[in-house]
Amino acid sequence: MSFCFLHSSDLHLGRRYANMAEAPDSNLRGRLIEARYSVLGRLAAAARAAGARHILLAGDTFDTPTPSPQLVRQTLAAMAEDPDLSWWILPGNHDNLREAEPLWDTITRTAAPNIHALTEPTPHCLDQDRNIWLLPCPVSWRAEAGDPTQALDRMQTPEGACRIGLAHGGISDFTGQGAAIAPDRDRRADLGYLALGDWHGRMEVSARVHYCGTPEQDRFKHNRRGVALAVRLDGAAPPDVREIETGQFLWAERVLDLTPHQDMAAAMAQMLAPDDAHRDILLRIVAQGWATLSDQHDLAQAAGTHAPAYGYFELRTRDLGTQYDAGDLDEIDHAGALRHAAQTLKSAFEDTSQSESTRKVAADALARLYAYTREDTTR
Amino acid sequence: MKLRAITVENIRRFSNPVTLGGMTDGLNVLREPNEHGKSTLFDALQAAFFERHTAKGKAVQALRPHAGGAPSVRIELETAEGTFTIFKRWLSKPQASVHQGTMAAQGPLVAQADAAEDWIARSLGTDQGGPAGLIWVRQGLTALEAGSKPEREAAQAARRDLISSFTEQVEAMTGGRRMDQALARTQEELARFATGRNRNPRKGGPWQEAIDQRAALHASATDLRATVAQLHDALDRRTRVRRDLAELDAPEARTARTARLDSATLACQVAETHAQDLANERSRLEAAELALRHARAQRDAHHDLQAEADTANAALPEAETLAQSARMAHASARTEGAGAQATLDQAQTGFDQANARRERAAMAQAARHGADRRADLARRLEAANQARTRMENARAQAASGPDAKAMREIDQLAQDLAQARALQAAHAVQITWVPMPERPDGGGPRIGDQAMSADVPYAVSGRTDVDLGAIGRLSVSPGDRPADRAVPQAQAAFAAALSRWGVKDGEAAHRLHGARVQAERDESEARAVLESLAPEGIEALRAALAALPAPEDGTDPAAPEPDLPPLAELEARVTEARARLMEAQRHRDLCAERLAEARDDQTRHDSALEAARARAARASAALSRKSAHTSAADLEAAVQTAQTAQTDAHARVAEKTRTAPDLNAARAALARARAVVETASAEIAHLRPELAALDERIGRASGEAVEERLAETEEALARARDKEDRIAHEVAVLICLNDALEDARQHAREEYFAPVAAELRPLLHLLWPDAELQWAQDTLLPDTLIRNGQPEQMAALSGGTQEQLALLVRLAFARMLARKGRIAPVILDDALVYTDDDRIERMFDALHRQAADVQILVLTCRQRAFRDLGGQVLHLHTTPHGDLP
Repeated sequence: MSFCFLHSSDLHLGRRYANMAEAPDSNLRGRLIEARYSVLGRLAAAARAAGARHILLAGDTFDTPTPSPQLVRQTLAAMAEDPDLSWWILPGNHDNLREAEPLWDTITRTAAPNIHALTEPTPHCLDQDRNIWLLPCPVSWRAEAGDPTQALDRMQTPEGACRIGLAHGGISDFTGQGAAIAPDRDRRADLGYLALGDWHGRMEVSARVHYCGTPEQDRFKHNRRGVALAVRLDGAAPPDVREIETGQFLWAERVLDLTPHQDMAAAMAQMLAPDDAHRDILLRIVAQGWATLSDQHDLAQAAGTHAPAYGYFELRTRDLGTQYDAGDLDEIDHAGALRHAAQTLKSAFEDTSQSESTRKVAADALARLYAYTREDTTR
Repeated sequence: MKLRAITVENIRRFSNPVTLGGMTDGLNVLREPNEHGKSTLFDALQAAFFERHTAKGKAVQALRPHAGGAPSVRIELETAEGTFTIFKRWLSKPQASVHQGTMAAQGPLVAQADAAEDWIARSLGTDQGGPAGLIWVRQGLTALEAGSKPEREAAQAARRDLISSFTEQVEAMTGGRRMDQALARTQEELARFATGRNRNPRKGGPWQEAIDQRAALHASATDLRATVAQLHDALDRRTRVRRDLAELDAPEARTARTARLDSATLACQVAETHAQDLANERSRLEAAELALRHARAQRDAHHDLQAEADTANAALPEAETLAQSARMAHASARTEGAGAQATLDQAQTGFDQANARRERAAMAQAARHGADRRADLARRLEAANQARTRMENARAQAASGPDAKAMREIDQLAQDLAQARALQAAHAVQITWVPMPERPDGGGPRIGDQAMSADVPYAVSGRTDVDLGAIGRLSVSPGDRPADRAVPQAQAAFAAALSRWGVKDGEAAHRLHGARVQAERDESEARAVLESLAPEGIEALRAALAALPAPEDGTDPAAPEPDLPPLAELEARVTEARARLMEAQRHRDLCAERLAEARDDQTRHDSALEAARARAARASAALSRKSAHTSAADLEAAVQTAQTAQTDAHARVAEKTRTAPDLNAARAALARARAVVETASAEIAHLRPELAALDERIGRASGEAVEERLAETEEALARARDKEDRIAHEVAVLICLNDALEDARQHAREEYFAPVAAELRPLLHLLWPDAELQWAQDTLLPDTLIRNGQPEQMAALSGGTQEQLALLVRLAFARMLARKGRIAPVILDDALVYTDDDRIERMFDALHRQAADVQILVLTCRQRAFRDLGGQVLHLHTTPHGDLP
């Protein structure tokens, strides 16, 4: 008889997105905050849809150790809406035991019975009949040294139990402190499934070890909406892991390879899918390759045309090289002082003895001069 | 084009035709007083070239004379194609024509009417107003930019045309309107962010706002980090407090602390009781030891008294023997001392006697020495008196004869006399008689009474008669000769010198001089003797003699005493007597010391004897008193009893000490147990409120979502930093662009004005060696003069300087025109009004310099000032009526 649960992590509730620039009246940050909160409902719905009664949150449910009381209360209230669903909340590095002690006290003291704060590394029985046990590895410190899943090897469960590990951390050691989870922990600790959190992208480490990623994305890295994993365990067979899209916003980064004299507007339009234009899509275009001043002017204009249709639109051109054609400078002026100024700026940009920043300033100044003179001709 | 002549008719004051001819290629000058028609000529020229013949405007109307008539101008000019004559008439029967040839020899018609107008315009090389405003200066309009608006615009167009013909169009060079707009956009954008020369962030601008926002967020983040750190500290502290409190307040911990305290209290009580018992035993031991020491002291005192009495009695006989020996030694020393004193007295007497005799002998010897001295002084005094007498006599004698100088004079005079005589003899007439061989002897001539010897020459010094015997007398007269006069003079001088010393001849004088020399030698010898006898004078010698004591009457100091041996022997006896006296004194002193020592020995031994007797008496008395109460045996028994009691007490103390518990350890254990209990209570009392306070602080801080706010602030700070960086980059871009544009435009302007600046520079340096001009792009005229590195606006310059610059600029333009093949004359109608004498000379130089390439026509009323200008001087001539068509 199989057992199904929902694996999610890194909700980062309470994140404010203050680093996001927002256009006037867009309320982008408010919408992003709200999307993170409302993912709780989408997770509950996903669990119900998958036939799961348990939702395992593998750390970083809260973005900071001291979220506001309002956020905590409303989060707990949302989780308590469906008493048939059990929420198992593991402290991660953002809401670790040491710094978030009041938070976990609050949850322990005030949460509804279907909400469980996993503040101790002790097994919990999820299903007595099926002998399903949850083995949590709470994070005690923000920068905890060592493999947080080592304790799983020593955790005792009844004979024949199906052991589900729940942990938060990376399988690569980014900190240099040896804080990496052993990829074969499932075999070492005899786990039927190891539910991991910390990485915001979805990743299957092995058949029984999975990162579900955040259910609501917050960066332009993964190019897809957030998902949760519906995991079904059936005896000794490998778990059946199914992704369920839970994210509201799509954070998409697309690379636009350009060559000089290309039709910039067409290239931009070709890259953007017709259904892209949506207020829930946050798009970053990374232009790379080479473009003339004229091309860049056209590209900027094309970006300005498309940008208002998106929740967020960014054209990043720092990797786009400028190719200066004689025609570019001719468009500024064929001769005379304007041409002289343009030539001076071009020489400054091409002077490799200058610092990169100085050359960048000269290049931008030349592009600006080009834009000003183009404005003049198009008026 | 070059002007050669101009004839005007019916133009203002010239109702009749007037011609100005004879113009050359270079500098031409018309110097006439005011109201002679110079400006009229200028206007006529201008009208001929720039007023169409059909024109009826103000300019043409202004040419008309009061008497009326159709103004007409005829101009003879020369171009590359040849000589032409143009004619124009306005208002009445207007006409314009161009003919080949001169006025005087007019050729075929080249053009007329509009074709003639076109021809005239082409001759100046422009159809936009030509050089009128550019190189022609109308009277009263000496500034660069003057005249009516159309004239100014025409001049500007001409300048633009001219300068552009050397470079490019100014618009093309400087970027024109597009450059202006790009710069304006750049500066407008820049002004939004920055202000001032240093491009500081504009107050209230987006850059300053970004900086302020970043600073505020940074401060806020710092505060929040501090709050978070405090929260973390509080959490850590609460964890420790809870742990400590749990450990302290646990029931088993409390029970353990109480049991440890009870046990320590009981152990301490037992130890203190034992310690009290031990103290009592130690007191008893001390009492026993005290009794033992007392008994031993009593016994020992008795023993000591007995020993003292025995010792004192035994010492008495020896003391008596020693005292007796000392008394005997004292008596012996006293006797020996008396003998030594007697010997000393005897030796003293012997010495005194020997000494007296030696003194008497010494006095006698001294008396003998005094008599010898007196006799010597008397002898020396007598000899000295004799020597003085001899010296005075010799001195008197030495004064009588001629001295050496007088003697040398006498000798010289004698020598002079002899020399005079020799000269007289040498020069004297000599008469020599030579007898005839056949003449018998004895019959020779005679001089005076002396017969002449044969063959012997006779000198004749004066008139001399030679008796020739029978023959007669021969009278010889040698005549008046100087040698004959010198002899008497020498004789007179010699005789006078001899007479001064009373002698007759030189020999006598020498004898007298020898006596004088001898007397002087005697005086010297006598003085030497006197000085040897009485070096300090005779009086001193006499005084020394008088100072000697006179000999006693009746005594002979030289006679020795008969009973006295020689002084040396007496001296030896005195020495011996003194030695004996000193030996006697040493012996007497030695005896005195021995007597003193013997006296001291006697006294000491007498005292020792007395002391021994007293000691024996005291010991006997004390022993008698002690033996009267307790015997030595009793005392020994008491000592044994006390010894036994002390041994017992010591054994009891040792036993108690061996079995005693560690009281200090027991007390320390009790103190520690009490401290543990008290500390635990105090710590619990302290930790409970601290825990409550921590709970409250943590609850408050976590309730304020401080880390949530910190995360938000840090994200906002990152965004603010990014924004500030972007704006700073934007400012850098705008500054870079602005600088590039400004530099390019300035560079373009400099290039644009380079030809005219190059043409003008040599002229300018005639007046100001280091001057430069800056040009305005709008007017294409200089707007700033730079002298000595100092810029001066044209409008701020003096009228003289302005008109000089204006003229130089026009000359430069004229030459540029000429270089472009558009040769046009420069016409200056009183163009130098305010220029002083010094500057005007240099302006003349400038005119001549340019006149090499350009025809210049100067019209001036300043006749004297322009007299030195040079050039071709022109005059107006009346032209016969009817010459003009």
